[in-house]
Amino acid sequence: MRNFILALTITAASIFAASGSASATLTANANHSLINIDFMYHGSTVSVRGEADSGVDLVVKITSPEAHQALKTKGKVGGVLWMNVGQLEFEHLPGYYALYATKDIDRILDASEREKYGIGYDVLGRKAEIRPLANEEDRAKWFSEFIKFKEESNLYATPKNIVTTASKDSASASYFMKSDWPFQAPPGIYDVTVYAVKNGKVAEEAHSKVTVEQVGIVKTLSDMAKNNAATYGLISIAAALLAGFGVGLIFKKDGGAH
Amino acid sequence: MYLYLPVALTSVNIFLPVGLGLAVGLLSGLFGVGGGFLMTPLLIMLGIPSAVAAATDSNQIVAASTSGAFAHWRMGNIDFKMGIYLLVGGFIGGLVGVEAVKALRAMGNIDFVIKMTYVLMLGGVGAYMFIESFQNLRNKDAAKPVERKADAPKSGFLASLPFQTHFEKSGVTHSALLPVIVGGLVGILAAIMGVGGGFLMVPVMVYMLRMPMHVVVGTSLFQVLFTCIEVTFLQAWSNHTVDFILAVLLLLGSTIGAQVGSVFGRKLKGEQLKILLSIIVLAVTVKIVFDLVLTPGLLLAQAGGH
Repeated sequence: MRNFILALTITAASIFAASGSASATLTANANHSLINIDFMYHGSTVSVRGEADSGVDLVVKITSPEAHQALKTKGKVGGVLWMNVGQLEFEHLPGYYALYATKDIDRILDASEREKYGIGYDVLGRKAEIRPLANEEDRAKWFSEFIKFKEESNLYATPKNIVTTASKDSASASYFMKSDWPFQAPPGIYDVTVYAVKNGKVAEEAHSKVTVEQVGIVKTLSDMAKNNAATYGLISIAAALLAGFGVGLIFKKDGGAH
Repeated sequence: MYLYLPVALTSVNIFLPVGLGLAVGLLSGLFGVGGGFLMTPLLIMLGIPSAVAAATDSNQIVAASTSGAFAHWRMGNIDFKMGIYLLVGGFIGGLVGVEAVKALRAMGNIDFVIKMTYVLMLGGVGAYMFIESFQNLRNKDAAKPVERKADAPKSGFLASLPFQTHFEKSGVTHSALLPVIVGGLVGILAAIMGVGGGFLMVPVMVYMLRMPMHVVVGTSLFQVLFTCIEVTFLQAWSNHTVDFILAVLLLLGSTIGAQVGSVFGRKLKGEQLKILLSIIVLAVTVKIVFDLVLTPGLLLAQAGGH
């Protein structure tokens, strides 16, 4: 297993004040913002660090862009067997969504602010479009199943209180968070937003991006399987034939599977 | 040590597929049956999507059956004429099977169909083997092997089929349609289940085509090899579900395991081994049945696969 330590640079230029705060000092330091899916990839580690005003709470949100997602629904057929019985389309929901904070988000951030900045599963649920649905009860049930599916796939996560802060001086503090980056997260560009929270309101926010891409043999094989399928199939067969002949020659006795 | 699988889009501990290949290869070498029917469900249990598991298993069976067919060819144990008729059917069956997989994937029912096919085939074969071996163990005198006579009288229906032809190597006469139809059915199963079909082909050749046992094994391997080559190509070309890296890991284990198993197999008692295999087969069947009957942890699943 090879882990990449990823730190995110949120430069001064990308910082902008929100909610009328004029003395914001939210900053971050980082090494790089690229995760490569290579042959030995088994996920990575993502870390965000920086400086903020003393006394503020911090919320870090990492998401992929909203996308259309189609999922099969399972149901009981004939009262006995579970099988796929239909398909639901989910709109206005990110494929990846992770929230990290210094304290329980419900305690530090007003509901109206969470709504405004898209922070929390309940906010996502109100924004989401799910179809086809028979009624509103179905909507709650299938959104809850959607969250379960995403959490099980390690694509949605809201771990508690993992952003830590340390006072630097009377006016500023440093913050840090570190979390696993799941191997299930597909290639793409992910948005990182850090919110500084004071008195239940977002005082300021900063943005950065994480790029996840396939490289090397993984990219070559993945591209070939999709775009050059005949060649890919022939190479797979040739490799198996060679392996079979090779082992047959080495053992030089009858045997083998059939 | 983990490797990322570019088509299955998942990361696996390298020792799991190699160990799985080794274990299934060992079983196939020990018992003289194909490992495919065990490999695909075990891959699914490892978290590999069903369609990728079945297609990739076909790819690794190419390696295992090449090794075995090569050995039997050197011993003159392959009835090429019968093998080619079986292949004609197998190719047509493979085409039909891959198209069926495509249609079922679009409908979202592929997992269900693969699992139900396994339940029926494994349950039937496992129960038959268990009962037969158990009876033989209880009544050893009754378990004397009976040498099958070539060209023994056939039923009226088989004799009445057109295009009767003599298969010299096997010493039998049949309608050419018979091996074509049998090969076709096995080809369909090979595509859906990701198996070579050896575990179905062998009893069919012995009991229906009445071929001598030594020719059955070599000819079955020959047919399975070419059927799996076709299925692998079609799955890669049409469904993009063959994971090359996973296949290499599996065949690393299975080709060596099969050879080691065939060495041990000669030293161990047959009926006990058969009972052990039938218990393994039935255990896999029970696991699949539980998956179908018990309420799943998640009511949503990825649509369309890869």
